[in-house]
Amino acid sequence: MRKLSILATSVALLVSVSVAKEIKVGAVMPMSGPLAAYGQTTYDGIVLAQKLQPTLKNGDTVKLVLVDNKGDKVETATSTTRLISSDKVTAILGALTSTNTAQVIAIADKKQIPVIAPAATNDKLTMRRSFANRVCFADSFQGKVVANYALKDLGLKTAVVIVDQAQVYSLGLSKAFKKAFEKGGGKVIKKLKITSGDKDFKAIVSQIKTMNPDFIFLPLYHPEASMIARQSKQIGLNKPMFSGDGVANQTFIDLGGKAVEGYMFTDFFDYSAPPTQKSKDFIAAYSKETGKNELNSFTALGADTYFLLVDAMNRCSDPSDSICVNKEIKASKGFEGVSGIINMDKTGNATRSAVIKVITNGKAIYKTTVNP
Amino acid sequence: MNFLEFMQQMVNGFSLGSMYALIAIGYTMVYGVLRLINFAHGDIMMVGAFLGYFGMAVLGLPFVAAVFLAVVGSSLLGMLTDKVAYKPLRDAPKISLLITAIGISFFLENIFNVLFGGTPRPFPVPEYMEHIINISGLIFSVASLMVPIVTLLLLTIILWVLYKTKYGMAIRALAFDVNTVNLMGIDANRIIMLVFGMGSGLAAVGGIFWAVNYPSVEPMMGVLIGLKAFAAAVVGGIGSVGGAVIGGFIIGFTEVVVVAFLPEYGGYKDAFAFVLLILVLLFKPTGILGINFDKSRF
Repeated sequence: MRKLSILATSVALLVSVSVAKEIKVGAVMPMSGPLAAYGQTTYDGIVLAQKLQPTLKNGDTVKLVLVDNKGDKVETATSTTRLISSDKVTAILGALTSTNTAQVIAIADKKQIPVIAPAATNDKLTMRRSFANRVCFADSFQGKVVANYALKDLGLKTAVVIVDQAQVYSLGLSKAFKKAFEKGGGKVIKKLKITSGDKDFKAIVSQIKTMNPDFIFLPLYHPEASMIARQSKQIGLNKPMFSGDGVANQTFIDLGGKAVEGYMFTDFFDYSAPPTQKSKDFIAAYSKETGKNELNSFTALGADTYFLLVDAMNRCSDPSDSICVNKEIKASKGFEGVSGIINMDKTGNATRSAVIKVITNGKAIYKTTVNP
Repeated sequence: MNFLEFMQQMVNGFSLGSMYALIAIGYTMVYGVLRLINFAHGDIMMVGAFLGYFGMAVLGLPFVAAVFLAVVGSSLLGMLTDKVAYKPLRDAPKISLLITAIGISFFLENIFNVLFGGTPRPFPVPEYMEHIINISGLIFSVASLMVPIVTLLLLTIILWVLYKTKYGMAIRALAFDVNTVNLMGIDANRIIMLVFGMGSGLAAVGGIFWAVNYPSVEPMMGVLIGLKAFAAAVVGGIGSVGGAVIGGFIIGFTEVVVVAFLPEYGGYKDAFAFVLLILVLLFKPTGILGINFDKSRF
């Protein structure tokens, strides 16, 4: 009897191993609403990555379950819960911004479902959350990159910082910049505060003009940054301007027009300087798919969340075991991604390079790569 | 702070204030007649800016034609909202109308979000509007100079319509008492529709000039401006067209002065503006030029 039952289990095991399973992976993205443009570009990367690598090493197929969070916090929370409880996903990719990603992480962490964020850079995001991971760099690194580049490469010693007090991203990045800039011998003359949604910055730029700093650091998103650039040029304030990844998109250039010529910002990746063989392959696949060569950095990061996840799943004996997958994500070292080489650590943060771009003739032109 | 910077900040305050004033006069007009706080005003302004955007960027119309298109389109939209949403509620309590106005506001924001997406679009500002005027170090653009001129022009036109035309007389009569107006053989519904048309046309002009000064249009752009213009109308004395202009300048100057003189609190300029609003209302509950509504209006 006992022998028989052992035989039965082993047969059952054998069957379960040989029959390929379908593993569900959730994606929470703003496909409509104010952030739709970025949500769609990022999801494009995830979809193309899935198309290129739809199966795991053991033959299991990965199925993407997309939910639209409309860029909204509450919507993010409900859709995350739905993904975990009714769709039974093994892992979640997304969401886009730090604020929404924090919602996803808060819920997924309790249910022990690993999250890989493509572009949420806020430092605090992965703190005390063992199931939170990201493929982008954090703001503390980004602030350091800007500070060092301004001090060493451009020789700019004094700065005025304009911070958006309503955005966690802006507060975190300005703090990181100030710390690194003053450590390197620079001086932050003043931190000026604005609130997202503001359109009139004439009073602020008039003040900056009299302070006469070497450059202006704007850890803001594109709507505010573009208006500040325009109004500065209007009153004849022509100091160099520098931003983080919050302005790394075409909309910023469209909104800023001629006023953002020479504007510098940090980004994750540039298609004209593909960092790895995988980037080259992915760009080739992307241009075959869309007819375009200009791979957006959000698309690259989206693809990397997927590739990193599949890579981690391949190292687990049961790829639907979310605890093992989470452990393996954090153990990824020297991972060759589309957006560059990614080293994960046990906190879920990625150590990776950043690129600096300058807007020239209405295009963001690659300037240099900064390694950590 | 030197004298030049001080003067520059005053110029900044003036250009921002006249922007609020331009939008506030539309707000106050509708209130004066119907005693309805038309919360959709800011969103009709957004529609006006979008129409201007489509006129110029898609149809390739010149600026003046785009303004005309926006004014006509928004006026029609204003009249349509009146017909569909407000007219059936004429006899309902005022609070129901207010809630309906909020509903219209959300409806417009969301329908534009669905149709055109939330990504801000660059407004094609005509070249001559971006021209910079520099008078011995004081710098301002043609666009910011245009705003107070347009505001004054519209103010004159509105006052002319109200006091010199038959329709104006009917509007003023309506503000007194709807029933009497009906007894006098005036079609009150038509006059109310006219008021909505005018108010929405004003909103469209405000929207276009806002987009010229701050060249990006997106579905949520009317929310904050609408709120500020509403505050301006209340400070000036809601229902009074001249008061709205004064209120607009007060709010605009407060914001600039806070940023210029108290840079540490620059991020809280809205709070300062609204605290001022509360103070004004504490001492003068009807606003600066406000009159007791039981006696007269405008």
